[in-house]
Amino acid sequence: MKILVVDDSSTMRRIIINTLSRIGYTNVVEAEHGKAGLEKLAQGGVEMIITDWNMPEMDGLEFVGAVRGSDGSIPILMVTTNAAKEDIVSALQAGVNNYVVKPFTPETLKEKIESLLG
Amino acid sequence: MDQSEIDAIMGGGSGKGSGSKKHKGAQPAPKPPETTAPAPVPAPTPVATPPPASAKKDSEVSSSIPSVRVIGELGAVTAVTERETNKVMDKLDQISQLLDQQRILVTEMMGNESIQNPTIQSSVHQIMTACTEIQNKVYEAMDLMQFQDISRQKLERIMHHLRQIHDYILDLLGTGFQSQPAAKISLSNSIASTGTSPDENKTHADSVVDEFLRANKKG
Ligand SMILES: [Mg+2]
Repeated sequence: MKILVVDDSSTMRRIIINTLSRIGYTNVVEAEHGKAGLEKLAQGGVEMIITDWNMPEMDGLEFVGAVRGSDGSIPILMVTTNAAKEDIVSALQAGVNNYVVKPFTPETLKEKIESLLG
Repeated sequence: MDQSEIDAIMGGGSGKGSGSKKHKGAQPAPKPPETTAPAPVPAPTPVATPPPASAKKDSEVSSSIPSVRVIGELGAVTAVTERETNKVMDKLDQISQLLDQQRILVTEMMGNESIQNPTIQSSVHQIMTACTEIQNKVYEAMDLMQFQDISRQKLERIMHHLRQIHDYILDLLGTGFQSQPAAKISLSNSIASTGTSPDENKTHADSVVDEFLRANKKG
């Protein structure tokens, strides 16, 4: 299972990748914004996406829109500080499958990943 | 972090933003923050002004404006804290690796016939339990580093407001200076109220997701 982690914070990418590794997912590629994320996706093999919202170049919402333009089924989990109800709804409408608000516990990340893959 | 590090990151040039925007007289108050806003780092860089003779003067005047300097300094703080947080995480990773090595050694030791004494075995079990507890604490410490991303976004929001105030005042004064619009970055609208307690918004987010999914199923 190859997972793409997109976040402009190197600290955050590291925390997410560490958590993934602890729950058994070690095949991870990372990108620092949506544009770089699309490039990684184009290389193929990605089966799940975990993306931030607030990023330079291309934000998470635009990224999800671009992904959904060509792939309607790949599971997408958004992990962001945006906690407002209207933000969560916008993300869901754009095509994310589930939503985690930062800061999160590793248990929550695990729960969401497993529910998307299950 | 000290001033020399901040200066180094800023390339010795805080607050150099100047522009050629013409004064249009009094403007309405700055618009409330939007989701999309200029990126905060690095400090605003000079924009070429049409008359070369006045360009240097513009830059000098602009760099002496406190808000421009502060925006640059805040950008440097976010960069330094991200770098230093990664150093702390490097150390935590090293502790994890050392613990793994110790656990392998202890596991090998437990299989050794010469230490089948129940007292020694009990002590070895306690060492293994302690290793697991330490490892869990290391993971918890790593997860707590999320505060860095949250603090950074709070600073980015402050920088965004400072830029708006800066441009508004300069426009009002008719100086012709404006902070350079930086690369696009989206800002969280709710970052000011974001705390550092993990999962503090989980119940709320889960209920919005559930409600949305239920409505979509029905529809
Ligand atoms: Mg971000």
